[in-house]
Parts: sequence; structure tokens; C-alpha cells
Amino acid sequence: MVNIMPGDHVTDCHVLVIGSGGAGCRAALEASQYGETVLLSRTLTGKGGCTVMAEGGYNAVLAEEDSTGLHFEDTMRGGAYLNDPELADILVTESPDRFRDLTAWGSVFDVEEDCVPAQRPFGGQRFNRTCYAGDRSGHEMIATLTEQIRNTGIRQMQETSAIDLLMDGRRVAGAVTLDGDGTLGVITADATILATGGGTRCYDISTNCAAGTGDGFALGYRAGATLIDMEMVQFHPTGAVYPPDSRGRLITEAVRGEGGVLKNSLGERFMERYDTERMELSTRDVVSRSIATEILEGRGSEHGGVYLDVTHLPAAEIERRLPIMLEQFLQFGVDIRIQPMEVAPTAHHLMGGLKINPDAATTLPGLYACGEVAGGIHGANRLGGNALADTQVFGKRAGEAAGKAPAITLQVDIDEVLATEAARCDAYCRGTTPPHEITRELKHAMWDNAGIFRTKAGLKEVEATVSRLQNLVPKAADRRMLNECCTVTNMLTVARLIIHGALLREESRGAHVRQDITQDWTPADSPFGHTVQSLFGTAIEERRGAA
Amino acid sequence: MNTITFTIERFDPETDPAPHTETYTVDINEGARVLDTLHAVREQCDPSLTYRYCCGSGQCGSCTVQVNGEPVLACMHEACDGMAVAPLNLPVERDLKVEMKSYLQDLTGITPGIFTGYLTVEANEAIRPIRDCIECLACVSECPAVAVTAFAGPTAMRQEMRIALDPRDDRDRASLTVDEGLFTCTTCQRCLEVCPKHIEIPGKAIEKLREIAHREGLTLPKHQTVADMVRATGRGVDRIMPTVLEQVPEVIEPVGKVRGEVGFFVGCMYNGRLPDTALKMLAVLRRNGIRVIIPPEQVCCGSPLIRTGQTEFIRELKRINIGCFTKRGIETVLTMCAGCGSTLKNDYDTPYRVIDINELMTEYGIEPPVSSSIPMTYHDPCHLRRGQGVTEEPRAILRMLTDDFREMPARCCGAGGGVRSGMAEVAADLGRDRREAIAETGAAAIVTSCPFCEFHIGEHSAVPVINITTLLFESYEKRDEESGEDSGWKDLPCREEE
Ligand SMILES: Cc1cc2nc3c(=O)[nH]c(=O)nc-3n(C[C@H](O)[C@H](O)[C@H](O)COP(=O)(O)OP(=O)(O)OC[C@H]3O[C@@H](n4cnc5c(N)ncnc54)[C@H](O)[C@@H]3O)c2cc1C
Ligand code: SF4
Ligand code: SF4
Ligand code: FES
Repeated sequence: MVNIMPGDHVTDCHVLVIGSGGAGCRAALEASQYGETVLLSRTLTGKGGCTVMAEGGYNAVLAEEDSTGLHFEDTMRGGAYLNDPELADILVTESPDRFRDLTAWGSVFDVEEDCVPAQRPFGGQRFNRTCYAGDRSGHEMIATLTEQIRNTGIRQMQETSAIDLLMDGRRVAGAVTLDGDGTLGVITADATILATGGGTRCYDISTNCAAGTGDGFALGYRAGATLIDMEMVQFHPTGAVYPPDSRGRLITEAVRGEGGVLKNSLGERFMERYDTERMELSTRDVVSRSIATEILEGRGSEHGGVYLDVTHLPAAEIERRLPIMLEQFLQFGVDIRIQPMEVAPTAHHLMGGLKINPDAATTLPGLYACGEVAGGIHGANRLGGNALADTQVFGKRAGEAAGKAPAITLQVDIDEVLATEAARCDAYCRGTTPPHEITRELKHAMWDNAGIFRTKAGLKEVEATVSRLQNLVPKAADRRMLNECCTVTNMLTVARLIIHGALLREESRGAHVRQDITQDWTPADSPFGHTVQSLFGTAIEERRGAA
Repeated sequence: MNTITFTIERFDPETDPAPHTETYTVDINEGARVLDTLHAVREQCDPSLTYRYCCGSGQCGSCTVQVNGEPVLACMHEACDGMAVAPLNLPVERDLKVEMKSYLQDLTGITPGIFTGYLTVEANEAIRPIRDCIECLACVSECPAVAVTAFAGPTAMRQEMRIALDPRDDRDRASLTVDEGLFTCTTCQRCLEVCPKHIEIPGKAIEKLREIAHREGLTLPKHQTVADMVRATGRGVDRIMPTVLEQVPEVIEPVGKVRGEVGFFVGCMYNGRLPDTALKMLAVLRRNGIRVIIPPEQVCCGSPLIRTGQTEFIRELKRINIGCFTKRGIETVLTMCAGCGSTLKNDYDTPYRVIDINELMTEYGIEPPVSSSIPMTYHDPCHLRRGQGVTEEPRAILRMLTDDFREMPARCCGAGGGVRSGMAEVAADLGRDRREAIAETGAAAIVTSCPFCEFHIGEHSAVPVINITTLLFESYEKRDEESGEDSGWKDLPCREEE
């Protein structure tokens, strides 16, 4: 590379991977076979992100009697046929191989009998195909991946955030970074992979970790990438409701997979009314709406949820299969072996994201995306267990494609880039509003009007709120708060993308429900395709051949 | 909303010469965790407060801090008024944020990484209990061996064992772990005590790695000598003076009414090195109405072998030690050595109940001693505190003995796990640490309840180390002197020669 004077704050590499969750770690491992790879994360490697929190498991067709065709159908049906079929096909076809990679690298998933992985039932699937390590499946994956990463020459840059992609014309050429002390830096790369995970932190009640602020969606959008289906926000049916600061914390689907039943305050097993066939193991959109309806209609529990009960299961089984749930609830004074849990829906997963092709390439040259930040694989609703598989399948694909990308010669004036970013930081230093005040208002507005049930009027209202908040300048009282200011800006962008998508999609489909619209089509024959948003315009695709 | 006031240890290496404590008052929700209060401080008082967190649900291991001196996950531990929050005992980056990266980078992983099939149930079950680590480094921050020597630390040993158990890995880990300080661990169990995932590192990793090392001939010569002695004589120490078992009869009847009956497991240290202490304890029980039965054929419990991985003839020791009590119909067996007690309770599967002397005295109640006003402190023997969960009983007794009881932090003295014999410098460093802790309390005597601690601290402390039962003995003696009465409780019967 020329035209760059590698100074103190410039790092050069072949592949830059932003984010060290399941997708980023997998991508880095793959990319490092092709050239120098930098793994950048806002947290410690592996410790940030939602992968480490994933509990339930990883979907893979392993049993003889199961088939990838069946997995594909379940995935498409679950996704209300909004999934990009090619991506969904890749997911189900390659997931078993990627599971074997993890095994080779030392993962310790549960086995049913000697050398046969254990697989549990998960919502919306016709076969038990969710592999698990107790209820710490994501932790098992991250432990395995980070162990491998430590064995390689991958350069880890930790506790440093990407605050913008580095642009060379229309091409992405790395990223601008900000560390915990508020020092700017630049990483230049032949290929850049966004693996920054999800972004439901813009909702008041969310399962996501602190890093789930959707930075990658905003970075990609600002750089000019195309995003699809951003309105598709999965509300997980079972989040904690008490104590107040723990609201939203995930109660894994494995609880229902292992036999947990949902009851309202009248003791009714209310899923009978909403999905007699699949009951508690219906898809997440259906169960979430059912619970929300029970609560709205006054049959909720003491703290505003419904009951999730495993007390009919033997205590030993609970201890072995759901140890984290047991432990977490015990910490909050509830013994799930003898008491029911209280649960309510919580914002969990963004199905939408950067538009990618089978190589995980985005619409911008030099930029790849994998994991939750990429869109299209899960359509309008993701099946439990498919996201972990997604991180590995598309993490590998992104790493490989980026690794094979040719070396480029950059024409970027780094000083100018740094000057622009420094000006942005200075503006934050002179800002007006504490960042947490902005996020607090945003979160409530999003939960109230862009949540499980949506209307045009409500969406317009929250859009106005977001616009107003976007006009405030978050204040960094200290340079160490600059990161937080960047994050708030990103959250507002993500919120706006969600709202816009939701306005564009005038139908109810999968996780997206428009109460103000009546429709006479089923998801399979919907006239609509993806919502598409970029700096250059927004639209909803018409589906050819649909009724 | 609740209002709480608490302190945080702050430190900015750029501006502060040393850490300092700040007090904050914030509004928090009911049931708030420590992490929520830190957020509250940032929002309500000082936005520059630095700490690490991410998942908020006890799964990522980023947020460990000390609350009132104990490491906890800030996101899971409930906040309370008056708490003192401080960083872990690791190099502080700023405020509550400590250096973790370099430690984590050195944790090992599987090689070569080729898929050869899924694990067997057996391998899976073996690895699971030590696999849950969230790399929070609470254990490392509290490990006494890490503090004084180049020991890779508890979770590194856990990881080594996890790899050693894995059929997919083809390397020899044991020799490596010896270089990483495998034999410097005192088996104090502090790591287990602070681990949010309750991983039994000493028992399930360290001792097991030492077993592997032993099979590979890597046992330290000093440890080997002890094992040879146990094999030859049934005892872990050589005979340099008349032992307890040589002096006492099989049954010691109490003076006065019989209030209880126990078998006594003497243990090598009290038997052969500190017999007087044991005899004084027996006199104390005699005065307090406890009949003691002492099977003469008992042998070493095997602790020095188990802790050092030399387990091949443990079964024989267990057979003898279980048989000698059961054949006499004894239902409760007393130990006064913390190490023996912990071994009998945790490594044996005994048909009888095992009870520590402090538990026994608490259960039956004792004649209140004469109280003094000498300032005294208490050293928690690791194998009593963590191995047996006995902490309050000795303190309650001690409070009867002095009205000036002073606490000191519970840390390992360095004698355990074969470290005193095998790694004398490490043990000495830890012993000196104790000396300073004792001096800080200003106590004139240090009381404990373990022969290893007594011996080891005795070498390092400036003030006398006294066994808790010896203190009782002296107090009763004093009472008798003052009143001129003597029931003959001190005159233990002698063993009859057969
Ligand atoms: C509680 C919970 C449980 C779940 N359980 C399951 C399950 O059982 N099965 C399943 O299939 N799916 C599950 N999911 C979903 C699944 O875990 C996620 O979709 C998936 O792990 C996302 O992986 P990722 O690699 O894309 O992102 P993440 O794992 O979220 O990682 C994102 C990474 O990006 C970094 N990052 C973010 N922003 C920046 C920035 N600006 N600069 C630098 N780095 C940045 C973060 O530090 C982090 O390292 C669960 C999700 C949650 C929240
Ligand atoms: S038992 Fe004690 S010395 Fe050994 S690793 Fe654990 S904390 Fe360290
Ligand atoms: S072993 Fe326990 S205490 Fe140590 S790092 Fe792991 S989880 Fe933390
Ligand atoms: S924040 Fe992850 S363990 Fe506490």
C-alpha cells in the first residue's frame, strides 16, 4: 500500500474483522490463512457480543432421519418466506460442517451416547436438531473459537471500537477506531468484515449485551451499503420481568424445549388458544404475540408477565440441562425447581441487516458482513438455533472471500480522515445532552411504538422522537465517553432504519405486525419482497409471480 | 427507588499517585445489582468512572470486582448500602478495570484440530465440570501462589487439565504444567471459594494433573520421600519423639458424666510432631464429658499423597482407616487436624460421621473458659474454612477466651498442598505475608486449629501461635489454680503395654 505513512495510529493488514463474536472469530480464523488479519473488538475478544450469551443451541442436520431439505423448509416457513432462499440453503447445507469444525477445535457439546451429539427440540422445527452444551452453548462456541485464535497469529485489538468505515472512494478500505481513552486510530485493510452483531439495545427491554447497539448497521449505512428488512425485529417470547434492572434478560427457549409450559394468571395453558398444534414450541413471533395479548388483556402475572413453569420436571434434570437458568434465577430469589418463572417478550434479534451475497460480500466493494449484522438469511423471523449456525457458516464464507481478496493500493489521505473524525469528537466534547438521557428516551419510544404491535401513527410518532433526538448533540464530559457518544449516534441510526422499514412494509409478516393494515394474503403469497434502504434511497421490493 | 451510599476504590494511573476511596450516594431500583449501581454513579455522579462489563447476565466474565473484599460478578451480585467496591487484586488499568488480556492470551487450546468424530459420553462427562469457566479471573486474583511466585494460576491449570482429558489433543501437558508451577499450589481452595461457576480446580484439576505428573515420574523428590515413608510406616512423618498413639490407651473415659462418645483420628502431624497439643485437646474433652476411642491401628489419611497426586495406594489407607473405626461401632469420628478432617470428609466415603474439634465443642457445648483481655487474632486454616466450611465455631470459642478478638483477612499460610515440603521458598513467602497481616492486627497471640498452620506460621510469626484447644486447656488450668480444685482431668491414663 502506498500513500499512507504508517504512524502511531495506523495499522495495516490484509483482512480487518470488526467484532469478535461467533461470526467475527470464525471469519478471522478463516481469513488468517490468507494473510495478516486483525480482529478488532469493542470489548475483550470473545467476551463482548451476544454469542457468549447464547444458551439454547446450534441447529445442524446430523441425524440420518433428518434432512437439510426439511431444515430448509422449516427455516423458510419460520421466516415467512422472506428469506433469501439461496442464503437459507447455504445455511442449512453447511451448518453441519461448521459444527464439525467446532468439534475439531475442541468444543464440548453434549452427547446423547458415545460419539453421537445430543440434539433438542426447538420452536418451529420438525426435528430435534438443536445441538447444545447445557444452556451455555454460545459460551462453548466462544471458548472454542478464542482458544483457536490464541493459537494463531491473528492480531487482536481489544477494547477499541470501529466508529466509521475507512472509505477510498466507494471502496471500503478499513476502519477508523477509537480506544477506551478516546484516542483515534486507523486500520487499513484490503478487505474488511463487519461482524458487529445485533442491535436491539435501542429497545427498552432487550436480551442483548451492552455491545448490542447495532454499530455495524450504522457504519455500513453511513458508508453507503444497502440494508434489507430492518423492520424485522424478533421479540423473544421469554425475557425476565423482575427485578426492574434485569428486565429483558433472556430466558432461553431451551426451557420450553425441555418441557416448560406457559400459564397465565388464571392458570390456563393459554397457548392452546393460539397454536394448538405446536403449543409452547410454536415460532417465536407467535408465542410473543400470544404472551403480549394475555398481558394486554389483563391475565398477566404479578410483575407484568406470564408464568413459565418447569416445576413438573425432575430437579436433577433441571440442574443438568438448565444450569444457568437455575443459577440466574436463584440469584434473584426464585428457585425454578419449585417456583414458576415470570416472563414477558423482549427485543432479541434483528433479522434484517446488510445485504449480502453467498460470499458474504455487501453491496460495497471491499466490505463483507456476517453474523447478525447481515440480513436475508432468516427472513421475517429467525428460528431458535439458526443464528449460531449462521455465525459459523457465513463467518467462514466471509473470512474466505475476504482472505482471497486481492491486495489493493490505497488513495486515502489518512490525515484528512483523522481530522474529520477529530472534529466529530470535538463536537461531542462540546455536546449538550448526556448520552444516557438520549438513549433512555429512545428506548422507551421504540418499545412503545416500534415494538411487537405497530401502526402507522405510532411509527410516525417514534420517527418524530428519533428526529428530535438526532438533533441533540450527545455530550462527552470526558474523552473516555466519546465512544458512548458514537454509540448513541449509531443507535439512533438503527432505530430510524427499523422505523422506516416498518413504515415501508404495509403488511403483517413474521415478526412484523401492522395492526392498522388488513391483508388477504398469507406470507407465502405476499406481494412484497425485501425492504431496501441505503443512503441512496428506500423501497420495498415487489415479488414477481406473487398473487 | 432506593437510595444507597457506598464506596468505590478509584485510580487513574495518569494523575493519581495511589488508589483512593470515594463515597457515592445514588438512587437505584429495587433488586439492583452492583453493576447497576456503577451505571448509576456514572449517570448521577461521575461519568468518568471506568469499569468493564458486557453481557449483564453472568456469562462473559468481564465485570468481576471486589465487594467488601470478596470477588463477585458485578452484574449478578446484589448491591447493598455501605458496600465497598474495589478492583480485583490484579494490575489496575483504571478504577475497577484490571489487566486481563495478557493472562487470557496465555491460556492453552486444543491441537492439532482435526475432526475425528464426536466425544464419548465418558470424555464429555469428565471435561464438563471444568469447562464452564467464564474467564473472569476471580480465582487468579485471589490465588496465594500466584501472588508470590511464577505460577500460571488456577484457571490456567483448569484449562490444562481440560485439555489433558481431551482425547482430541495429542500433546503431553503434564511436564509443561510442572514448569508452569503445578507444585506451587497449596490446595487452599480459595479459587473454588471465589469461582462464580463453582469449578473445583484444586480437586478436579490440580490434584489430577499432579497424578498425571506422578505417573510420568515428575513428582518432586521431597513428595516422593513422604510417599515412601507412608508406604513403609503408615505415617507421613518419621518418629522423633513418643507419639500420641504410643502414649494413650484405646479408650479415654471422661471425668464425670459421659455426655458423648467419639472416635479420634489423630493424624500424622499431631501424632508425631505435636503430640502435646493433641494430649491437651484430649484432656479438654475429658473435662467436658466426652469419651474418646482411639484405635491404635489407624494410619495416615493420605492427604499428603492425594494433594501431590500420588494416589496409587490410597485405597489401602482408606480401608484401614474406615475399618478401624467401624469395627468398634463408632458413629462419629473426630479430627483436630484440618487437613485430615477435610480429607476424611471430602476424599473418603466414610460410613461414619466426621466432625472437626471445633464443631464437636460447639455441638456439645463446653465449660466456659476464663476470659482474658489479651488481644488475639485467628488464622483460618484453609482446609477448615474452605475444606469443611468451619469458620464461625472457632471464632465463637475464641470470643469466650478473650474480650479482644481481632479479625484478619483469611489467606493461606503457605503450608498446604505439599508446598512447604516441596517448594519451601513459596511457602516461606506466604508465611511472611501472614506475619505482616498478624502484625497489622496488633494481636499478642495468633490462634489456629491446624498442625500445618501452627508449625508454619510459628516459623514466621513474631507472636506465639497457639492451638485453640491448648488455649482452653490453659484457661481451665488457670481456673483450677485459682480455685485450688483438681478433678484429675489432666492426668490422661497411660497406654498399657501388651
Ligand atoms: C441472550 C441471547 C441468547 C441467544 N441464544 C441463541 C441460541 O441459543 N441459538 C442461536 O442460534 N442464537 C441465539 N442468539 C442469537 C445469537 O447469539 C446471535 O445472533 C449471534 O451470536 C450473533 O453473533 P455475531 O458474531 O454476529 O455477533 P456478537 O456475538 O454479538 O458479537 C459482536 C461483536 O462485535 C463487537 N462490536 C460491536 N460493535 C463494535 C464496534 N463498533 N467496533 C468494534 N467491535 C464492535 C462486539 O464487541 C462483539 O465482539 C441469542 C442471542 C442472545 C442475545
Ligand atoms: S487451591 Fe489455592 S493455591 Fe491452589 S490454585 Fe487454588 S487458590 Fe491457588
Ligand atoms: S475458574 Fe472460575 S473464578 Fe477462575 S476464571 Fe474461571 S470462572 Fe472465573
Ligand atoms: S457483565 Fe458479563 S459476567 Fe457480568
